[in-house]
Amino acid sequence: MNSFLNVIGIKKIHITSKQFVILNVFIFTSCICFLIAAVTGSMNVSIRNLISGDINELTRIVLIEIRLPRVILAGLVGASLGISGAALQGLFRNPLADPGLIGVSAGAALGATLVIVLGSSISGGLFLGSFLLPLGAISGAMFVIMMLYLLTKGFGYQGVTYMLLVGIAVNAIAGVGIGILTFISTDSELRGLTFWTMGSFGGVTWPLLIPALVIIIISVSSMITVSRNLDLIQLGEPEAYRLGVDVKKLKYKIIISCAAAVGASVSLSGMIGFVGLVVPHLVRLFGGVNHNYLLPGSAFVGAALMITADMLSRTVIQPAELPVGLITSAIGSPFFLWLIFRIKRS
Amino acid sequence: MSVRCESIEINLNKREILKNISIEVNEKEILSIIGPNGAGKSTLLRTLAGDINPINGNIFYDEKNINQIDIQERAFTRSVMSQLQPIAFDFSVKEIVEMGWVDRGESEYADQFDDAVNEVIHKCGVKDLIDRNFNTLSGGEQRRIHFARTLLQLWRPSNSNDPKYLFLDEPTANLDLTYEIKLLNIVKEVAQEGAGVMLVLHDLNLAAKFSDKVAILKGGSLIDIGLPKDVLKSALLSDIYEIEVEVKNDPLLITYY
Repeated sequence: MNSFLNVIGIKKIHITSKQFVILNVFIFTSCICFLIAAVTGSMNVSIRNLISGDINELTRIVLIEIRLPRVILAGLVGASLGISGAALQGLFRNPLADPGLIGVSAGAALGATLVIVLGSSISGGLFLGSFLLPLGAISGAMFVIMMLYLLTKGFGYQGVTYMLLVGIAVNAIAGVGIGILTFISTDSELRGLTFWTMGSFGGVTWPLLIPALVIIIISVSSMITVSRNLDLIQLGEPEAYRLGVDVKKLKYKIIISCAAAVGASVSLSGMIGFVGLVVPHLVRLFGGVNHNYLLPGSAFVGAALMITADMLSRTVIQPAELPVGLITSAIGSPFFLWLIFRIKRS
Repeated sequence: MSVRCESIEINLNKREILKNISIEVNEKEILSIIGPNGAGKSTLLRTLAGDINPINGNIFYDEKNINQIDIQERAFTRSVMSQLQPIAFDFSVKEIVEMGWVDRGESEYADQFDDAVNEVIHKCGVKDLIDRNFNTLSGGEQRRIHFARTLLQLWRPSNSNDPKYLFLDEPTANLDLTYEIKLLNIVKEVAQEGAGVMLVLHDLNLAAKFSDKVAILKGGSLIDIGLPKDVLKSALLSDIYEIEVEVKNDPLLITYY
């Protein structure tokens, strides 16, 4: 695992040994969550049978074709929302930035909805279709982040409330857009649309998952490579520049990676709120605020949290399913309130 | 070895901030810039540090035009301390100091990271603050930490001859008497070790005591530059600051009414 950290570019020199241990605990926890989630569900699989290879054909199909893509997707979406939240909070120098709150997810959802309703006539094969959806969502997310960038005058530190207000407006605008598209959609398109409003990992298949997997892994790794620059930008943009950070390049890198990660996530699982807000703060509470620790930490905790939330959503009221967005919002919204009060106090 | 600018001009918002200024910061030398508010002192410092591009004129670091030096290499050659912004997250003091580390990707440097940090912490006398949350420090304490960070950026192994320059914009703001003197003594030490230092100062007596050279700026123009005893004359200072200034020599002492 330590060598894994080296591979993804975490130099031990910039994190404390305590943070190093905590990161390893996070990695271990997300692996355990993954394993438990993979064998738990409407059809339980015993881990012992799994290891000895003593499983029948039906179990194998359920595991490989249904359970595994679903758990992987949950992990990927959790990781990308967690790390995007952390990176956006760092870039905006604003503890309340969250892809959901500031409208990035809404932009992605609008982009995806556009593709579903208007793009069904364009996209021919399944392969193109499965790329078109994330592409629409990514463009929507990118558009919103660019707009935020312009409206907050380059992510100035002053913009804490201002940015949230812009986020409310963007959310409303996207809501209107999605509403109109829902209204003009056909019955079959409507089925696809309900998928978003609920937020769910159900129904994902390997052909849908692979493009998102590639996009998310690339964007997450690209964010991790600029961890130290995100630390330096906390001193202010002029200071970061004097310390050798190409500030403009850093901004574009974060904007594009976040848009890609959130867009790809939203295109497959819909809007899942508060993960990008809660996870980075949770990770900071455990071990500190520097981004060499925070970014990978948020990715792993996000993955663990989302896998667990999804497992709960499909096991609590069997055979029915709770929308996973409901669970994350139930945890996230009180946390958001607590955070606001805490910031007000200080 | 020096940082030098040749007839630079700066306009900001269509206002002329610096007019035809040529100045040189030599190694092992402390140059202080004094002058009334709005004279262009900070702008001059930021221009020499490479933050602002002049509309006319050139800046040279060791005879190399600054435009040909990439920002990573600049970070390795000069460090800057100026007005500071609040920090949104709860970084520890140690993390803030360590942000000054520019290792240039050379492993022989990276090996000495801990030694360098400890050396700087010891030199600046901030050991007792090091584990605290940066945002809980007072304004003066925060300034001392940023100063330590600025020094870490210029840290070199003892056998290194790479040129280095320190630009400090009012480094003693918010500092009490003790730390004001301590900080300037450290600056002096750094200069003796080979750094070229440029300071913006308001306190004329500190400028007189710690500088090798003093430059006077008013209205964006360089009025005079030279040894403190040659430049700091009562007639000139009275004229510049538009108050009565009295200067006594041996030791240089400036009083104003």
